[in-house]
Amino acid sequence: MSMTKKGAATQSQKLMVFVLSMSLYGLATLFTELIPSFQVGIVEFSVEFFLFIPLTLSMLFDPLSAALGAATGELVFSEIMLGQFGGLGELEKFITVTIGVYIAGRLVKNPKNRAMVGAAAFVGTGVQLLMGTIVDILKVQFAVADFEAVAGLPESVFATEGFAFVNDLLFSGILFCLLPTLYLVPKLYGKIEPLLGMQPRTKETGLGQINVRTVIVCLISFACAIGAEMMAESGLSLIDWEAGWAGNGTAIAVGMIAAAIIAIILLGIMRKSAEPAGETK
Amino acid sequence: MMQKLSESVLDKFSMDFLRNQVLKNAYGNDDTVIAKRDPRILLIWYLFFGLVPWFVNDLPFLLGCFLLVMVTTVLAKVAGLVLLLFAVGVFTQTGYLLIATWIFGGDASAIAPLLILTLKVATISLASVTVFSGLDPDRLSNGLMWFGCPERLSFSISYAYRMLPMLMEEFQNVLLSYRLRGNPPAHETVRGKIKYLIYQIKIIIHAFYPLMLNTAKRSRTTVEALELKGYRYAAVNKEVRKMKLSSLKVTYDDMIFLAVSFLWVAVTIFISTMI
Repeated sequence: MSMTKKGAATQSQKLMVFVLSMSLYGLATLFTELIPSFQVGIVEFSVEFFLFIPLTLSMLFDPLSAALGAATGELVFSEIMLGQFGGLGELEKFITVTIGVYIAGRLVKNPKNRAMVGAAAFVGTGVQLLMGTIVDILKVQFAVADFEAVAGLPESVFATEGFAFVNDLLFSGILFCLLPTLYLVPKLYGKIEPLLGMQPRTKETGLGQINVRTVIVCLISFACAIGAEMMAESGLSLIDWEAGWAGNGTAIAVGMIAAAIIAIILLGIMRKSAEPAGETK
Repeated sequence: MMQKLSESVLDKFSMDFLRNQVLKNAYGNDDTVIAKRDPRILLIWYLFFGLVPWFVNDLPFLLGCFLLVMVTTVLAKVAGLVLLLFAVGVFTQTGYLLIATWIFGGDASAIAPLLILTLKVATISLASVTVFSGLDPDRLSNGLMWFGCPERLSFSISYAYRMLPMLMEEFQNVLLSYRLRGNPPAHETVRGKIKYLIYQIKIIIHAFYPLMLNTAKRSRTTVEALELKGYRYAAVNKEVRKMKLSSLKVTYDDMIFLAVSFLWVAVTIFISTMI
C-alpha cells in the first residue's frame, strides 16, 4: 500500500482509531459515572479518572481521531445512555476533552521518549482541567441571577473551584493520568499499531510540533465552549422580553391555554376519526 | 451490621447488575408512552425543556416545568440506577455549593437563588432522562439524523448500545483473570486497606492493557465490515438517508403530547402572571 503522505493514516484507519477510543473511553467513563464522586470536605474530585486511555491512544495514533472518539464516547456512553445528557454543559466537556487529549497527542513526537510522554500527559490533563475550571466559575456566575448579591457565594465558588483544580491536577493528574500513561504507552508501542494495520509512530512519521495554527484553533474552540455556557447570559435579554409583556401577560397566558385546549380537542377528534383507518392497516 | 450493609450495597453494584440496568434502560421499555412518540417530536420537546429553564428565573414557571418533566420521567419507566445517578448529579452540581456558601458566611438569603439553580438543573436533567432513556437507541439516532446531526454521532449511539454489553463482559473477564492470578495484600488493618485499594486501582489500570489490544482488533474488524458495506459513502448519500428515515412518522398522539405539554406550560405562565 502506498502512503500518500508520510505517516498519515488513511480514512478508514482514522475511523478505526475513532471507534477504538470511543468504545474504551466510553466504557471507562460509564464506571466513573457510577462511582459516587469522592468528596473530601467541600472539595469534589472531578477528575477524569480514566483520561489515560485517550491520552495513550492519542500518543500512539492519530491524535485528532483519538480525541474526538474519546469525547464522543463519553457523550454517548455515559451521558446519553444513562440519560445524563445535560444539554449545553456537555458541549463544553466535549470540547475541553478534545482539546486536552489532542494537545497531549501532538506533543509526543516519539512515544519511546518517556520524559516527553509524561510531560505531555500532564500538560494535556492540566489544560483540560484548567478549561473546565474557568467554564465552571463562569457558569455559576451567570446561572445564579444576582451572583454578587448573595453573601459569601462568589468567594466560595472561587475558593472551591481553585482548590479543586490544584488538587485534581496534583493528586489525580499524577496518579491517574501520568503514571498509567507512562506504563501503557511504552508497553503498547509497536504492539497495538499492527492490529490496526499501521506503522508505529516515529520521529519521521509524527505530525510535527504544535504550531501557532493549532494553538489558534484550540483557542477558538475553547471560545466556543465558553460561548455555549454564556448562552445563559443572553438569557438576560429573554427575561427582559418577558417583562415587556408582563403587563398583559395574563391575557396572553389565557389565550395560550385556550389555544392549547382547542388543539387538544381537535387532535382528539381527528385521532378518533383516523382510528378505523389505522385498525384496518 | 455496618459490614453487612456495605457488602449488600457492593453486591448490588456488581458488573452484572450494571449491565442489566443499562440494557434495561436501552431496550427494556419499548412500550411506554414516551417510547412510542416520534423521536423528532421528543427532540423538539427536549429542546424547549432543556434550554428555556436556563433563561427563566420565575419560580412558578420553573416548578411547573419540573412537575411536568417529573411526570414524563415516570411515564418513561426509567431504570432505577439512572434516577439514582440523577439525584447524585443534582446534588453534586448545586448541593455542595449550598454547604460551601454557609461555610463562607452566607446566610438564608443564599438559599433562594440556589434553590432556583437546583430547580433549573433538575428540570433539564429530568427532561434529558425522559428523552434519552425513554427512547430506544435506534429511534433516537434516527431522530438525531433527521435534524442533520453528523452520521458519526448516530453511528456511535447505535454502536455503543450494541457493543457495551460485550465490552463490559470482556472487561469483567480480564479483571477476574487478573484477580485469579494475583495475590492481594492483606486488608485487615488501615494500612492494609489502603494498600488493598491501591492494588485494586492498579489491577483496573493493568486490565486496560489486554482490553486495548482486544478492542483494537475488534474495531478493525468492525471498520472493515463497515467499509465492505460502503459505510463511508452511504453516510453522505442522500438516497440512503431518505431510506433510513422513512420509518419516522408523526401521529396524532405525538401532536396531542406536544399540545398537552404546551397547555401545561401556558397554565404555569398564567399562574405566574397572576401572582
